[in-house]
This record gives sequence, structure tokens and C-alpha cells, in this order.
Amino acid sequence: MTTKAKELIAVAAILIFSLIFYLGKTFGWEPTEFSTAVSLLVVILLLASLLWILVLTLQGKLIGRRVVFLYVGIAVAMPLFMKLSQEMPVSPAVQGVYDAVTELEPGSKVLIACDYDPPTAPELQPMAETFIRICFQRDLKIIIMGIWPQGPQQANLALEKILAEPDIAAKNLQYGIDYVNLGFQAGNEFVIQRMGGSFKSMFRTDYGGIPYDELPLVRNVKNFSNIDYCFNLSSGFPGTVEWVQIAVDRYDVELGAGNTAVQAPTVYPYLSSGQLTGLLGGMSGAAEFERAADARVKGTKYMLSQSVSHIVVIAFVLIGNVAFIMSGRKSALKG
Amino acid sequence: MKFQIFVTLLALSLSVSAQDTPADTNLIDTASDTSLVIVAPVTSLIAIDHNYDKGEIIDLRWVPSIDDQLLDGKVLGYNVYRIVNNGEPDLIAELPPSTTSFQDQDCHLDSVYSYYVAALSESFEANSNRTAPISTEREWLNFDRKWLFLIALIVGGSVILFITAARRGTKLFVRKIAGLEAVDDAVGRATEMGRPILFIPGIRDMDDVQTLAGLTILGRISRVIADYDTRIFMPTSRSLVMTAGRETIKAAYTAAGRPDKYSDDMVTYYTDEQFGYVAAVDGVMVREKPATVFLLGAFFAESLILAETGNYIGAIQIAGTARPAQLPFFIAACDFTLIGEELFAASAYLSGEPMQLGSLKGQDVGKAIAMVVIVAGVIAATIGEAWDVPFMHDVVGWLSGVFSTR
Amino acid sequence: MEAAFEHFRLWLAAFLTLGIFSFLYKDNPWYKLSEAIFVGISAGYWFVVLFWDNFFGKFWVGAGDYTMQWLASVFTGGESPSAEGVDLMLWIGAILGFLMLLRLIPKIGWLSRWPLAFIVGATAGLWLINYIASNVMVQVQATMVPLFSTVFGAGFDAGSGVIIGGLVIFLGTFSGLVYFFFSKAHTGAFGTTARVGVFFLMITFGASFGYTVMSRMSLLIGRIDYLLGDWLGMIK
Repeated sequence: MTTKAKELIAVAAILIFSLIFYLGKTFGWEPTEFSTAVSLLVVILLLASLLWILVLTLQGKLIGRRVVFLYVGIAVAMPLFMKLSQEMPVSPAVQGVYDAVTELEPGSKVLIACDYDPPTAPELQPMAETFIRICFQRDLKIIIMGIWPQGPQQANLALEKILAEPDIAAKNLQYGIDYVNLGFQAGNEFVIQRMGGSFKSMFRTDYGGIPYDELPLVRNVKNFSNIDYCFNLSSGFPGTVEWVQIAVDRYDVELGAGNTAVQAPTVYPYLSSGQLTGLLGGMSGAAEFERAADARVKGTKYMLSQSVSHIVVIAFVLIGNVAFIMSGRKSALKG
Repeated sequence: MKFQIFVTLLALSLSVSAQDTPADTNLIDTASDTSLVIVAPVTSLIAIDHNYDKGEIIDLRWVPSIDDQLLDGKVLGYNVYRIVNNGEPDLIAELPPSTTSFQDQDCHLDSVYSYYVAALSESFEANSNRTAPISTEREWLNFDRKWLFLIALIVGGSVILFITAARRGTKLFVRKIAGLEAVDDAVGRATEMGRPILFIPGIRDMDDVQTLAGLTILGRISRVIADYDTRIFMPTSRSLVMTAGRETIKAAYTAAGRPDKYSDDMVTYYTDEQFGYVAAVDGVMVREKPATVFLLGAFFAESLILAETGNYIGAIQIAGTARPAQLPFFIAACDFTLIGEELFAASAYLSGEPMQLGSLKGQDVGKAIAMVVIVAGVIAATIGEAWDVPFMHDVVGWLSGVFSTR
Repeated sequence: MEAAFEHFRLWLAAFLTLGIFSFLYKDNPWYKLSEAIFVGISAGYWFVVLFWDNFFGKFWVGAGDYTMQWLASVFTGGESPSAEGVDLMLWIGAILGFLMLLRLIPKIGWLSRWPLAFIVGATAGLWLINYIASNVMVQVQATMVPLFSTVFGAGFDAGSGVIIGGLVIFLGTFSGLVYFFFSKAHTGAFGTTARVGVFFLMITFGASFGYTVMSRMSLLIGRIDYLLGDWLGMIK
């Protein structure tokens, strides 16, 4: 059989498999969930096979990069079926955000700057949801904005989800009075700069086109001095760095941040210097924040996949180094 | 209750007699109505023009009502009223109890303002004295930030000084940067293999100094490429970078005496979308299999994906960025990496432009100041803390004050 | 109709996700198709965003529309439009933007350098102050930490963690600055300090690498959650 034929068969198999499960879903099949015993068995099998690969490497038989991809895929997918729970302590950086927001008086105005887009939603969306939930539970007023075009859209998804939760729905929160989405504004960090003078100059209308002055929540909000706390969700430029440099250092805003793990190391210096009140770094930050708020949802669920996939990555780093050392020895012998 | 009413009335009568402009109190018929909760007004209300602003803020401060207490407080809040140009009072703010200050941020230079604050109970509003009329002033310099200004002046001044020196022909020393020698070798390798060179300028626009540094190095690389008659391809994610890239390469080819070899197709725009751009460049790498890949500019999450693909196709990779978060991937997956500011230094070193050399040297002055202050600060803080020397505490306090921006 | 569209949306997203994943096997037509769709749609999306938010949302609403109405009133003798909310300064931006397009006319193409100079100059001005204040002054201030945290003799009980933490902050910052000092060759004691700086940099990069692995895994988890959950309904 030619390679092309094999590839076509593989694609057809994926299609048939997907069709069966998709039809199953439409006919009401229940989602699969591994019991604790099965979950442990899967993890043990995974570890044993990694050990086997290490032995093969020591024998000089190297595996291809596709095997690494396959392992990472399995390590990420399998824990999503598992029921195992994972305990993690809340770090001071995460506690800082939680404490800052829970210490606010009811009715305080919180600005949520959503500067991210769908590609980084797995990390930042759980943070947005938990933060909004805490705000609503504590009767804080939320003002949402974004200097990334898709940020306010992501915020709307989070709002929609949290407002549908029974305890929040019971509060009968009103748009324009309890929360507002001012939408996106082009201009990168210059938007933050101008907001220091006047919010209205940057946001003539809200996300849906309602004029700024017709929104009771923001009518009397002139600039940052009328904001009690600011939370920035950021996945790049412009983001937390710019918020610190302009909003914090120029306009004395109290700022907490949620960042993708890629960006978190860049932002940590601002935490130790006190320019940030707290920082949620990546998915672990999201999961810790959920733990602090006692609402273990998406972030916590994803963390098991994170942990297992990290074990696989560490294992392959070790295996790779073994292979590297072995190849070095071989070339030395040849040389 | 009666005693409280008496005290309140006494306080009110005293405050009324002491003021120039009588307060508008709501005492009419209230003294005889015992169902009302009467509270004392705020005292010592002052209005001051805010320092170092554009003339649009007035600060109000007051001593709260004696009935504004944490436990069993009768004051439910405060209303702030403003009178503009002797007109009618306007309610401009409703504040919670215990508030002792307010900032009116909606003032104009050409108006005169006066204020009074009303302490509110369930059924009573006790007005304070009106403040004396006040107008705002605009300040052109913010002396709260004098140290920031001074440090910016020293660093900026050094930059200008060094640029001037370089223009006059003074030789400015810049240390050798490892990895730069590899540029010529990398271009030579592509020539030998008959494969193209890929230049990726990052995903930021022309307003990012990293992109500018990348393009300066591109100028030098293009010159070598033109000499060797190798092919270069530069995919961009910003239209401005595309045009700037075209100009840079065209200038290099012209300088090398081969303008005919230049083509606009050497530089292409794909998309502003980060991962869309990455998908396209990855595709180019796998299909064209360039012998050498330059990744010089501002990179974000795409750095590892690009560097890994370049590594996979076996290209020699020379990278440089000032984004600290992306450097690990370049170091892991590339053959040579310009770490952080080395990118700018390399740009200055290769171009020899007085502007860039002067900037680099000026920044070194800033770094020298930072090093000296850090060492002095740490020594003073340690001695002060370890042996409890008050003078050292003062030194640290002063240094912290100088370097504080708040 | 809505249900059919929902099915189509789920399948299209899954098809494109798997298409991009297929690159892990090798470059193939499925990946090329997904890549082309991604690049095309994202370029179109950005065009639309920039047009509606910058040109229309800012310039046209803020100044362009008013100017047109005003001109019409001047020529037709009608009533002048209301100038409320109008910011004629936006015309400066519009003119600079227009100059950018002059690149298409080679003879006067040099005019397009003016807006470029404006962008570079304005950004440099804003960033100079931001960086000196936030990344230099505040960070220098935060580095001035005592290496011992309590008084000698009166009970020296600073934990080793505090001392090591202070030392790492001080040595890391100082040696890092030495490494990035370009006015002196890396020789002698200066060179040794610079090498310590590189050591600290590499440790930082290692930590950063770990964080990025977490970030990349998060993206993968997000897509696999979509495939197995939203699309196939295999997980909750």
C-alpha cells in the first residue's frame, strides 16, 4: 500500500469516527467520564510507555518527532475525561487580586480592560469569568472596555455566562446601571493615556451605540480617579505593561492583572515593585483564582491536563538530553 | 434626644455666626419637629486649586459632621453643591459617610467657583458654610515629577551629546557583539546551497524601535546578499514595514551597484493577524526551504513556532529581539541570538550611524547611573538595617523619594 | 435553519482546527487550505476593523461627516450643522493618513515619510517617559533592598530565604546591567560580572520557557476541549 493510500485511509477513519460521535451527541449520548481506577490506569500506562521510550533511547533507538506530538496530544486529551481532582495552594500574587477586589465596598466601580482575543481565551476566559462573578457577588459595578478589538466580545461571552448563573440572575442586574461594556477603541496605549483625562473622549458610545452620557453607571465617571479598581486581562501588546506604565504610574490606578503564561514573566517585576496589586499568570493563575473564589470550574478542570502534559514534556526533555549525550559520545568515538 | 438637638442647634448657630456668607440651612420648622433626625454640618470646609494640573480641578476638604460616627452614626452621607459665577447651586456629588474630601474635576479656567457641603440624615440636610470664591490656574510644569524630568534630561542630554560627538567624527567605542560575524557566513552558506534567505522582521509596526533595528540590520544583510547575488524573501505582517523593507533592500541593491536585481516581490505583506501570519510564514519555510533565516524585530507568541519550523527545515537561524519572554525560544532553537539590547547595539555597530551610536552610548550613561544608585542604595539599606544607622535610613529614604514616580 | 447553521459552524471550526493540526504530520493540501482561509479571513477582518473603528468610528463620526455637512451648508446656503462632539483635530490625522497613500505616486512618494516620522516621534516621546518612570526608576527603587532584614545583636533572625532573595535581586539586576553595558569590553572583573549576568539571564529564560510551555499547552487544551466537547460531545 502506498503512503498516500494509508494517509487517505487515516483521514477517512478520522471522519467516520467523528461522524459516529457527532451523531451520537445529537441522539443524546452521555459524555464519557473515567472512574478513578481507570484514570489512574491511564496515567500509569502513559508513564510506563515513557519509561520504555527512555530505555529504547538508551539502546540507541531514537523516536520521531511525530511520536512526541502524539504523546502530548494524549496527555492533554485523556485528563479531560478524568474525575481526578488536584489540590493547589493559592500563591500570594493571585491572593493579591482576590484580596484587592473583595476589600472593595459594594457599589465600587471596577474597570475591566479586556485586551485579548480568542486564541488566548483558554487561559484568560476563565479569569474573566471568575473575576466578573466575584464582582457581581459583591455588588461591585463593572465597566468593561478593550484596546484589542475582540476583547469586549470575549467579555460579553463571559458576562452572558455569569449572568445566567442562578445566584447572579436572582440579583436582576441591569445593563447601564450595574454593568456596562464600552467596547473597543483603536489607538493602543494612547487610549489609556487619553482615558487619564477623560473616558468620554475615547468612548463616545458603548458597545451597542448608546451615548456615554445616557449610561447611568458611567455618566459621572470622568477619568481614572472615579475608578476604584482596575483589572487588566492581557495577552500581549498593548496590555498590562502599558497599563502599568500609564494608568498606574501616571494616574495612580490600583491595578491587578491576568496574563497569559508567556507574558507573565515580563510582568512579574511590576508585582514585586508594588506597581501591580496582584497577578494571575496563565492557566495555573486562573485555577488558583478559582480556588481562592471557591468556584472551581474551567481553569481547575484544565489544570489536570496541564499537569499531565507537563510530566510528558519533562520526560521528553530528559529523553532528548539522553539522546543528545549518547549522540555526542558516538560522534566523539567516531571522531 | 433633646440634648442632641440642643447641641446640634448650638453648633449650627456658632457656625452660622462665624461665616461671611450665611449657609442655606434647612432649619425652618425643624426644631419643633422632634421626628426629624437633626445632624451637625461639616466644618472647616476649604476649596483649593489643585496643584500641577491643566486648571480643571479644585480640591475640597472638610472636617466631618460630629454626628458622622462609625457606630450609631446619624449621617447617611454628604452632598456637595457648587455655585458657578454666583449662579444657582448645583448638586455635583453624593458621597458616603466618613468622606472628608472631594475633587471637582469639571472646572474651567474662566469661571469662579464656590462650594458647600450638606450632611444628610434620614430627614434633614445640614449645610456647611460656603467657601470663598475660587478660580483655577493652569500650571505648565509638574514639579511633583522634577526628579523624573532631571533623569530624563541627563539621559536625553547624554544621547544628544554623544550623537553630536559621533557626527564630529569622534570614535565611539562599542564592545564586540558575539554572533554578528555569523551574518556573513550565513549569507555565504545560502549562496553556496543555492537556496534563498528569509528575513522575518517581527510582527510590530514601524513605531517599534525593534522593527527599526531589525530593518537597519536588514540593510547590511541586503548589501551582502546583493554582493553574493543570493535571493532574499521578506514576509511582513504590517503594510508600513513592507514598504520600509522594500526601500531598505532597494537602497542596499543600489549601493551595491545592482539595482536591476532588485524586485518588489522580495517583500510581501500577508496579514496583521498574528497566527495567520505565522501559518503563512511556516508554509513558506517548508516549501521554499531557505538556507538561512533571520528573525530580527519584535516577536511575541509566534517566536517559538517560527524558530522551531526553521530548525526543522535545517536552516541556519540568527535571531534577535528585546522581548524578554521570547528570548528563551530563540536561544533554544536558533544558532545565534542577539539578546535584548544587543539587537540595538548590533544595529548601531553595523550601521555606524552617529544617531544610533549616540543613543547607545547615552543609554549606557543611564545604566551607569542605575548601577551606582543600586549599589549605593543596597549598601545604605543593608548598613541601615543591620546596624540600625539612622543616617543610612535617611539616605535610603531620600533615594527612594528621588526614584519614586508616585 | 438556525440548527443547520450551528451544525455547519461546529464542523467548519473542527475541519479548520484539524487542518492546522495536520501540519504536525507534514505539509499537505488540507493545511494549505486552512492556512489560506486563515490568512485571507484575518486580513479581511483587520481591514474591516480598521475601517469601521478608525476611519468611520473616529474620523468620519468625529470630523468628516460634520465637515461635509458644513461644506454643503456653505454652498447651498443652508443651516450650519451642530458642532457638538466634533473634533476638527482629527483632520490632522486624516491628512497624515492620506499622505501615506502618496507612496503610490512615485514622484511625490517622499511625502509619505512625514506621517511615518510623526508616528515614530509621538511613540518615542510617550515611551521615553513611560520606560524611564516604570521600568527604570521604580525598578531601581525596588532593588534597593537590605541584604539583612533585622538588626544585628538584637536578634538576627532573618530567614535564609530573605537573604538569598535580596542577594538574587541585587546581583541579578546589577550583573544584568553590566552585561548590557556596551561601552566597555567584557574583560577582567567586568567580564566576570557580565558572565554572572548571562548566568542570571539564562535562569530567567529557563523559567520563562517553562511558563510558555504552560501557555502553549493551554492553547492546545482549548482546542482539544473544543473538538472533544463542543464538537463531538465526548466530554462534559
